[in-house]
Amino acid sequence: MNRRRFVQGMCYGGLATLGAPLVSLARVPGNGRFVFVLLRGGLDGLATVVPIEDPAYRSIRGRLAYDPQDLLPVGEGFALAPGLAPLSELAARGELVALQAMAIPYRTRSHFDGQAILETGLDRPDGSSDGWLNRLLQVMEGRREGIAVAAGLPRSMSGSIGVATWSPASLGATSDAYIERLHVLYQRDPVLLGRFEAALQLQEVATEAAAGMAVTGQGRRRGQAAPVMRATARFLREPDGPNVAAVEFGGWDTHTNQGLAGGSLDRLLAGLAEGILAYKAESGSSWSDTTIVVMTEFGRTARPNGTGGTDHGTAGSGLVVGPGVARGPVLTDWPGLSERELYEGRDLRPTLDTRAVLKGVVMGVFDLTAAQANRVFPGSTDVRPRADLVR
Amino acid sequence: MDRSLRALNRFGLGARIGEQESAGDPAAWLRSQLRPEFAILDGAADLPTTGEIASAVIRFGAAVRSDDAEERSAARREIAAIEVRESSASLARRVTSDAPFVERLVAFWSNHLCVSSLGKPQVAPFAGHYERDVIRPHVLGRFEDMVLASARHPAMLLYLDNAQSIGPDSKAGRATTRSGRGRGLNENYARELLELHTVGVNGGYEQRDVEQLARILTGWSVAGVRSRDGAEGPPGFLFRSAIHEPGDKTVMGVRYRESGEGEGKSAIRDLCAKPSTADFLAAKLACHFVSDSPPAAAVAAIATTWRATNGDLLEVSRTLIDLESAWDPGFRKFRTPQDWLVAVLRAVHASEIPPRLGFVLRELRHPLWRPPAPKGFGDTTSEWADPDSLLNRAELSRSVASRVPDTRVDPREFLGVTEVKDSGALSSMLEDGSISRSERVALAIGGPAFQWR
Repeated sequence: MNRRRFVQGMCYGGLATLGAPLVSLARVPGNGRFVFVLLRGGLDGLATVVPIEDPAYRSIRGRLAYDPQDLLPVGEGFALAPGLAPLSELAARGELVALQAMAIPYRTRSHFDGQAILETGLDRPDGSSDGWLNRLLQVMEGRREGIAVAAGLPRSMSGSIGVATWSPASLGATSDAYIERLHVLYQRDPVLLGRFEAALQLQEVATEAAAGMAVTGQGRRRGQAAPVMRATARFLREPDGPNVAAVEFGGWDTHTNQGLAGGSLDRLLAGLAEGILAYKAESGSSWSDTTIVVMTEFGRTARPNGTGGTDHGTAGSGLVVGPGVARGPVLTDWPGLSERELYEGRDLRPTLDTRAVLKGVVMGVFDLTAAQANRVFPGSTDVRPRADLVR
Repeated sequence: MDRSLRALNRFGLGARIGEQESAGDPAAWLRSQLRPEFAILDGAADLPTTGEIASAVIRFGAAVRSDDAEERSAARREIAAIEVRESSASLARRVTSDAPFVERLVAFWSNHLCVSSLGKPQVAPFAGHYERDVIRPHVLGRFEDMVLASARHPAMLLYLDNAQSIGPDSKAGRATTRSGRGRGLNENYARELLELHTVGVNGGYEQRDVEQLARILTGWSVAGVRSRDGAEGPPGFLFRSAIHEPGDKTVMGVRYRESGEGEGKSAIRDLCAKPSTADFLAAKLACHFVSDSPPAAAVAAIATTWRATNGDLLEVSRTLIDLESAWDPGFRKFRTPQDWLVAVLRAVHASEIPPRLGFVLRELRHPLWRPPAPKGFGDTTSEWADPDSLLNRAELSRSVASRVPDTRVDPREFLGVTEVKDSGALSSMLEDGSISRSERVALAIGGPAFQWR
């Protein structure tokens, strides 16, 4: 078996493959790649895309207000957290847009409901809905292969289209004699053979990606961002590999001691930045077709709580990264942090719908019509896609 | 012989090595298991009572609001300890039961009317009690009695939020409107009762029916799970007339006169009796027992029995045994992670469950009583046979095999409990003395043949 080639769309997606790979620095229609990064736990948006010029910023953030010298100004009155400084190169090239005061369309401070809304793409909880990324695969045309880089199939990818899965926990499994013998046995099972071979292929690609990286013990289980993103880039750069990926990282539920520059949240953000740059480095020429969106289920309270952290809030922040980014450094309809502007007196007020961003991005990346985007996000007809986000 | 194996793997939870030789008439053996007393868990007297569970939930509720980290972790440990006692008892029963068809039915119905502790930690200690109290007593009884029992159990009332649903025009509802606190109707349970438990998503209801059913069910609540509930009586179901929406309601064309708690009972019985409920459950059962794409005749046979008996689950289960396609080797089902691990343990005649089984099931994303959504876990090949999962089973097989004592089994004996006939590759590996005994066991349980039932 030639494991370097993704055989027949992972063999079981039942989808035709493209012909020769198209290598070009310009974005080629039909070649788009999309990575949805979900930060589970509720990223503190005000500690990430920092409104340094808001008059109420210092007073409302109190002990969690950054020293402006630690921040990376991106313009329009905002600056990125210290940990995101490595992304300055992308910001300078116009390959990054920060999203602020954004929220899912359903008001909840429950992780479970919030993630369910973000992952199903609906405006209310629904116990049986498919994930929106699976619906995207159902709706888009041409090559459409999904991969979930997560421990288990995330809700966002579940649905009628089969997707590949790979989890960082499987790093280190070897293609030893035992696996070779199992491979012989799987030759007799036409239903499972393609799936098993896809697993071996992904494993090989990921093992190469991880070469030189010590990914062991706790880090391996928790999923450090860089090796995970590097592996994801390997999967997506293959000309007939997957072109829609779901990636997730945990640990963002910062109720205690989230800290400032170099603190616990900042270190997580630094890991995320490292992951994004690792993706870019590993993706080679496919970077020109790639768009990465980073989102979370909700933002956190505007004020610090009593334990140096923040509690579950409403609007938060996100990122869109990639050469296709077509607008200024910050996308927000900034509501302000003054007392009377806060949502329910405690949270940043939502002014941007996650679906407006996601619809705009997938329309740009996969050349979808507005009608197709509305099928990906049922019930969103009156949510205008941000068509200015991605070329 | 093949039919014996089919009865053990397809209807049961996996053949024990040597077991099929001793089975008589396979269909008769399955029918002999269908006795309600076989569904009851032995040793339930040692498991927590409603009172103990409710006390733990009250302490947990107080602890999460407390600043005392020690108190919070003690409360979490108490909840986790109850969960482990309950799940160990349920899984041990699956591994050791001599009426495995009944245990498969328990697992099926427990998943159909599932509760989940995901995002709702207060459900966790109730989940095992829910299976013992709601599912097991009715698994060979009437479907409507099972649904009614689930509607009244604290686990379901808390899981799908009905306990906190307040009629907007009820006494309490008008008071909250005045005070501007804005709590009101919660449609969550009513929606899932229609969409997932009874008539199904295509069952012919509309958003208006969901809202009306939610109004009917206002007042169906729980007593004794919050510290301030003290004086209300014993923990468990409580109809709170102060939050019940007054007035007549109409669901799917049937008008329910204002009668407090009685409206909900009538509406649930009516929904269970709908032809669409029979069709929905017949398709789901056929998918579970025959194939991801079952023949129409199998679905029709189950639906006919269901309608003729108004959901008598004893008769429905007998019909499953009579399905020709359930015995047809041309159809097969991919084992879910729970099914696969239970089958491995049954094959080697395990008398107890390994201490880390719960952890392993979480790793395989199939933890007991913790599905990701109210739909429950799926049971189709496309949901479980993804590439990463196959590799995880392969890896896990190695560590499981290393724990099977060498003296316990001869690796070749796995051929006798495996559903898919071997073309020779597996048997020659299992006889190959140059491969360690432990790796040969791993090949038997981690290879493709053992993944099917």
